[in-house]
Amino acid sequence: MVNENLVKDVVKEPYKYGFVTDIETEKIEKGLNEDIIKLISQKKEEPRFLLDFRLKAFKKWQKMKEPDWAALGYKKIDYQDIIYYSAPKQKEKISSLDEVDPKLLETFDKLGIPLTEQKKLTNVAVDAVFDSVSIATTFREELAEHGVIFCSISEAVKNHADLIEKYLGTVVPASDNYFAALNSAVFSDGSFVYIPKGVTCPMDLSSYFRINSGDSGQFERTLIIAEESSSVSYLEGCTAPMFDTNTLHAAVVELIALDDASIKYSTVQNWYAGDEEGIGGIFNFVTKRGKCLGKRSKISWSQVETGSAITWKYPSCLLLGEESVGEFYSVALTNNLQQADTGTKMIHIGPKTKSTIVSKGISAGNSKNSYRGLVKMGTKAAGSRNYSQCDSMLIGDQASANTFPYIKSQQPNSEIEHEASTCRISEDQLFYLQSRGIEFEEAVSMMVSGFCRDVFNQLPMEFAAEADKLLALKLEGSVG
Amino acid sequence: MQSKMKESDPILEVKNLSASTDNLPILKGVSLTVYPGEIHAIMGRNGCGKSTLSKIIAGHPSYNITNGDIKFLGENINSLEPEERSQSGIFLGFQYPIEIPGVSNLEFLRVSTNARRKFLNKEELDTFDFEELVKEKLEIVKMDQAFLSRSVNQGFSGGEKKRNEILQMALLEPKIAILDETDSGLDIDALRIVASGIKRISNAQTGIILITHYQRLLDEIKPNYVHVMSDGQIIKTGESDLALELEKKGYEWTDNFIKET
Amino acid sequence: MEIIEKIKTNKSIDNQTEIQKICLDKLQSSPLPNPRSEQWRLSNKSKLSNFLDYSINENNSKFDISYPKNYQSNIRLIIGDNCQIKLIEKNYSIQQLSEDELQKYIKEQITFFNQNENWSDLLNLSLSGKNNILGLKINGSEIPPIEIFSHASSNYLNAKTLIIFLEKNCNVELLQINLGEDNSSLSQSTFFCLEENSSLNHGVVSYGVNKSNLLNSLNVIQQKNSEYNLGSLHFKFNYARFEIRIKQSEGNAKTNIKGMQITKKNEQISTYTKIDFDGPNGFLDQINKSLADDKSHAIFEGSIIVPKIAQKTDASQLSRNLLLSNLAQIDTKPQLEIIADDVKCKHGATISQLNEEELFYMRTRGITLTEASKLQLSSYFQEIISFIPVSKDRWDLLDKLLNQN
Repeated sequence: MVNENLVKDVVKEPYKYGFVTDIETEKIEKGLNEDIIKLISQKKEEPRFLLDFRLKAFKKWQKMKEPDWAALGYKKIDYQDIIYYSAPKQKEKISSLDEVDPKLLETFDKLGIPLTEQKKLTNVAVDAVFDSVSIATTFREELAEHGVIFCSISEAVKNHADLIEKYLGTVVPASDNYFAALNSAVFSDGSFVYIPKGVTCPMDLSSYFRINSGDSGQFERTLIIAEESSSVSYLEGCTAPMFDTNTLHAAVVELIALDDASIKYSTVQNWYAGDEEGIGGIFNFVTKRGKCLGKRSKISWSQVETGSAITWKYPSCLLLGEESVGEFYSVALTNNLQQADTGTKMIHIGPKTKSTIVSKGISAGNSKNSYRGLVKMGTKAAGSRNYSQCDSMLIGDQASANTFPYIKSQQPNSEIEHEASTCRISEDQLFYLQSRGIEFEEAVSMMVSGFCRDVFNQLPMEFAAEADKLLALKLEGSVG
Repeated sequence: MQSKMKESDPILEVKNLSASTDNLPILKGVSLTVYPGEIHAIMGRNGCGKSTLSKIIAGHPSYNITNGDIKFLGENINSLEPEERSQSGIFLGFQYPIEIPGVSNLEFLRVSTNARRKFLNKEELDTFDFEELVKEKLEIVKMDQAFLSRSVNQGFSGGEKKRNEILQMALLEPKIAILDETDSGLDIDALRIVASGIKRISNAQTGIILITHYQRLLDEIKPNYVHVMSDGQIIKTGESDLALELEKKGYEWTDNFIKET
Repeated sequence: MEIIEKIKTNKSIDNQTEIQKICLDKLQSSPLPNPRSEQWRLSNKSKLSNFLDYSINENNSKFDISYPKNYQSNIRLIIGDNCQIKLIEKNYSIQQLSEDELQKYIKEQITFFNQNENWSDLLNLSLSGKNNILGLKINGSEIPPIEIFSHASSNYLNAKTLIIFLEKNCNVELLQINLGEDNSSLSQSTFFCLEENSSLNHGVVSYGVNKSNLLNSLNVIQQKNSEYNLGSLHFKFNYARFEIRIKQSEGNAKTNIKGMQITKKNEQISTYTKIDFDGPNGFLDQINKSLADDKSHAIFEGSIIVPKIAQKTDASQLSRNLLLSNLAQIDTKPQLEIIADDVKCKHGATISQLNEEELFYMRTRGITLTEASKLQLSSYFQEIISFIPVSKDRWDLLDKLLNQN
C-alpha cells in the first residue's frame, strides 16, 4: 500500500497569497437596493443607458431564485451582508503608474505581477484589478499603435460607450441566471478588449484580479470583442487573502468573435480555497460565455481551477457562424472540502461547426468535483461535430467525482462523441517510477501532470509552467 | 503489341477531370485512358490526389466533379451511384479497407457477388453454392475459411484486409480494377500473394490501375504505363522504366516537370 | 388531482387492498411527477396525460395479438390469468407467493420509494388489483425457460405487477413480453430479488400497435455472487418509458444490460437506468441503443452510483444513438457519481447517422444504398436481439424491426 499519510502531507502546502494589503479604502455601506446601484453608477459617472441596464437587471434578479441544481452544498449567502463597492483611495485622476499607491504596486509585485515600467512583464500587457476597481493597465500606448483597446471596463464606458452599448449583455443577458443578473446590477470593474479588423494582437493580454477586503464581493465584468480576421490571447489570474468568512465572487465574461476572428481565453484560478476544515474561502460563481458570431470564428477556453471553496463555472460557446469552432480545455483540482461544479456548454447553431471538450478533474481529500456539460446540435447544425473527453482522477477514498454530460441532437447529419473515465494513481505506476529512483512526491506530481497534459498543452507557455507548479503544490500529500 | 491493343475501345476514359471536396479543389484536370489488357501505375507523393482520383472513379459522395468526364465502356458515369458502378464492373481496392462490425464477411461477399451476377444476367447464388465459389477463390489469396465467419475486416491485420480486398476482386470479376496502395503495409510474402492474386485476375479483357508509392509491387507486376501525379495533375507519363527512374531519383526530380499536356 | 379522482371513481373504496391505499395516499400528495425533476424533465407532458385518459380495466378482456406457438418445454404465464399456476407449481419448483408474502415485500419496497423516481411504481401499485399481481418464488436449477405476458386492451388502462424471488443457486431464463393494443395504456411494474449465487437471463420485449402507451418499471435487487443479464427492446409506442433500477445490495455481483429503443413517427420512448453499487467488487457492462426516425424523440438517462463502500467496482456504460431524420430528436445523459477511489468506471455516448464510409464501402461492392443501410441496421439491432433470451427465431424480432413502419 502507498503510504496514505505521506500523500496527505503533500497536499498541505499553505496558500501563498493569503496576505492582506493594509490600504485605506473607500467602501459603501453593506446591502443591496436600488439606491446602492444608483450610487455605484454615480460613483463611476456612468451614462444613463448603463444605469438603466443595471436597474433592469436588479429587477430581474429580485424575481429570480438562487439555483440549487448543481451538486453543491453551501451555507446560504446573505446578499444584504455584502459590500458591493470597495476601492482603494487614490488621487482623483491618475495620469501615470507613478501616481498609483506604492502599496498597491507592492501587492501586485508580491503576487508576481509587477506593474511598474522597470519591472513589468515583457510580453504581456496587464490590467490589474484590486477589489472593485482597475488600478493600472500596462503597455497601453504600444497596444494603441495597433488600434487595440485594452482598458478597464469603467474607462471603456467613458471612452467607448458606443461599443459597450452595442455589445454589453448580448452574450450573457442579465436574465441568464441568478449570478449573471446580480453581476449585471452591481458590476464594478473588469477589463475591456477590442481588437480591430485584421489585427493580430501583438502581445498576450492579461487581467489580474485581487480580492483584498474580506466583506466586499467582487463582481467584475469582462468584454472582449474580436473584429473580422483579428486574433487575441487573453489570460486571467486571481488570488485573494485568507479570511475565515466566505467572499462572493460573481463575474461575467462575454466574448464576441466575428468572421475569421479567434479568441483564446486562459484562466488560472487560485482564489483562497478555505482551510482544511472548510472555513473561509471564495464562492466563485462565474458566467463565461463566448459567441462565435462570424464565419470560421473560433473561441477557445482553457482553465486551470485550483482555488475557491466553491466553483460554479461553465465557460461556454454559442456556435452561430458557419464553420465556427469552440474549444474547452479544463483542469479542475479540488482538495480538502472544496467543491467544484464546472464544465461547458457547446451550442451548435450554425452549419459545419465544431467543438472539442477536454476536461480533467482531480479530487482529493473530502472534496467534490463535478463535470457538468451540455452539447447540443440544433436543427440547422448540419455537418457539425463534437468530441468530448472527461476524465476524473480520484485521490483517497473520501473524494467524489461526478460526471453529468447532457447530450442533445436534432440534426442527423452531425456527430457527437463523448467519453469519460475514472482512474486513480495506481500503485504499480508509482512503484515503477519509484524503482527508477524518482521520489514519491515527484512521481505523484509527474502522474498528475501527465494526466493533465492535454490541457496544459493548450495554455500559453508562461501559464503552463505556472499551472504545473501550482498543481504540484496543491496536491502535495494526497495519494493513497 | 500496343497498336493492336488500341484497336479495341477503351475501358476507362478520364477526360480533363477536376473535382473538389468542401470547395477545396483536389483534382485539377486529370486525363487518363485505359484499354483492355493494360496495366497503369499512378505514382506520386502523399496528398497529390491519387487516392481521390480512385474514389471519384468509384463514386464517393464527398467529392464534386467540377469539370470533365469519366467514361466507362463508352458511357458517361459521372452521375452513377457507387453501387451501379460496381455492378457494371468497376472495382476499387481500398487503401484502408473499412471495418464493419456486426456484418458477416460471408454475407457481405455473397450479397455483393450476387449484385454483380445479377447485372451480368448470371444466376444468383444461394449460400450453399456461394460457399463453394468462395472456397475456390480463397485459394488465390491463400486465406483461411475462418475469415468468412468474422465481421467484415474487423480485427483483420493489415495484410489480411488487403487479401480480403483481392478476394472481393476475384469474386466480382471487374472490367477495371483500381488498387489504391494495395501494397502498402505488406511484408514480402503477403506482397507476393497479393501480386499473384492480381496477376491471376488480370487478362486481355480487363484493365488495372495500380496506385502506389513503391517500386516493389511494380517489380512483381510490370505496368504498361506509369503516370506521375502532383498537385491534382498528371505531370508525367512514361513506360515502366519511369518508375525505376523515379525510385532512383526521388520525387524531387519530378518537381521540375511542367505539366506535359 | 384528476388522476386520483379517476382512480377512485374506477374502484370501490372498500375493495382496495392495503397496498393500494398506501400508494394512493402517496399519489395524493403529488398526483403527477414533478415535470422539472431530472427523471421527468424531457418526458412529453401531453403524452403522459394521455396515458391516464383511458379507463381502468381490472378484468382482462380478450386479447387479439397472436402469440407465436409455444414450445412444449416452455412455461408460459399471462399476468391476470393465473389458471395455469397450479399446474406449474405441481411440475416445477416454482411457488406462487402467498398474499402475506406479497404484501410484506411490496410494503418494504414502498419505504424506499422516492416520489419522482418511483412515480410509475406508485401508479402501478395503486391500480393493479389482486388478480393482476403475479408473485413467484423459484428455486432449483432445472427450470425451463419462462415467458410472462402483460397486455393492455384497446381503450383501457391496464396495470400488471410481477414479483419474483430467485432463491439461492437458481438459474432462470425469463422473457417478459409487454404488448399494447390500439389506444391503450399499460402500466407494468416488475420486482426481482436475486439471492446469492442465482442468475437470471432476462429479456424484455415491449411493442404496441398504434397509439399504445407503456410505463414499464423494473426493480432488481442483486445479492452477492448473483448475475443479472438483461436484454430489452422497446418499439412502436406512442409513449413509452422504461425505468430500470438495479441495486447490488452487497456488491460482488455481475450485471449486464443491453437495451434498445426505436422510435418513429411522432413517438417518444425513453429509458432511465440507475445502478447502485452498495458493496465492493461490483461489475456492470451496459449498452443502450436508440434509433430515432421521422418526428420522434428518443431519450436515455443512465446513472451509475459508486459510493465509498464500493471499492473495486468495474462499471461501463455506453449510449449509442442513431438519428435518422431532420425532425427527430435524441437526448442522452450517461452519468457517473463516484466516491470510491479504486474503481474502474467509464461511460461514452455517441449520436450520429449510419456510418457513411461503411455505406460507401458496401456500395463500391455493388450493394445498393437501401440494402447497405439494412445490413448496417441489422448488425446494430442484432447485438441487442441476440442478448434477449427465449426469443431466438420464434419472435422474429429482427424482421419486426427492419420491416416496421
